[in-house]
Amino acid sequence: MKIYAYGVIDSNSRIEDTAKGIEGAHVYSIPYRDIGIAVSDLDERYKKNVNPDYILKHEEVAERLMERLTILPMKFFTIFKDKEAILSMMSEYYDSFNENLNRLRGKLEFGLKVIWSGNAIKKRIAENNAEKSQSKLLSNGSPAKNYVMEKFEKYKMDQQFKKEGHKYSSAVSRFFKGFAVEEKLDTLKSDQLLLTASYLVEKAKQDDFKQAFERLKKNGPNDLKYLFSGPWPPYNFINLTKSEFKKA
Amino acid sequence: MDNVMLKSKDVTLLEILDRVLDKGVVVSGDIVISVADVDLVYVGLKVLLSSVETMERLRGAPFAGAGEEPT
Repeated sequence: MKIYAYGVIDSNSRIEDTAKGIEGAHVYSIPYRDIGIAVSDLDERYKKNVNPDYILKHEEVAERLMERLTILPMKFFTIFKDKEAILSMMSEYYDSFNENLNRLRGKLEFGLKVIWSGNAIKKRIAENNAEKSQSKLLSNGSPAKNYVMEKFEKYKMDQQFKKEGHKYSSAVSRFFKGFAVEEKLDTLKSDQLLLTASYLVEKAKQDDFKQAFERLKKNGPNDLKYLFSGPWPPYNFINLTKSEFKKA
Repeated sequence: MDNVMLKSKDVTLLEILDRVLDKGVVVSGDIVISVADVDLVYVGLKVLLSSVETMERLRGAPFAGAGEEPT
């Protein structure tokens, strides 16, 4: 029997009223000093049974705990061979867990994805550039030179495309300043995915943050699509270091 | 107020995947279950992930307002 871990919590008391865990297992907590870790037992069947429900269960347990406690959600499928292994890990990371729990207490994560018509924008940039460089191409008959020109035009277009993307993400970043405690931004993960952002927001300010998002949507360019999600456990804001470096 | 996209179970799963597979507490050491077991699980998840990505891409076309999606 192995042990599946959902998250580290800022309590060493028994946890009650949690969601059912993976494979319908009972979720309980293993205390370590003044903190704890939410876990459930896992038998060998899981190897054959992995399915999307595992991921939903992992998240459901974390979200239910988040209602009453501060939680550092584990990465999916963190499994330990026994209780001793968990306690040893807890002692190794105790200071860092504590630091993170204190920093993240009373805060929630929100996600924002912004999608634009990347292809249409590239096309527009290419057309603009083509108009400007038309005369140059016509006046130059050499195929080799034209090839180089074309390559250069493509490079220029990519640069302009990226510049437009980054201009937008800095505007969003400025916009949310004051509403969020921390942010993580990722611009142009793909041509269509203009912005992937995570925000750490104080619980008391979550309504302000949501209203700010509504304003962003209303006042921003109208050809953008938004995916706003949350509140999430603070997956994107955990910074861990081992309490002390132990050589094996 | 809610974005229509959020209602879709697939997109919810995609948003969860985005977080639980890459982020969260990652501990190191010999205490975590053997890599072979985890690999086995990830094979299953990769299949799942790619099917979710496909769904997202199919949905993306009309909603991004573009005629086609990048590969």
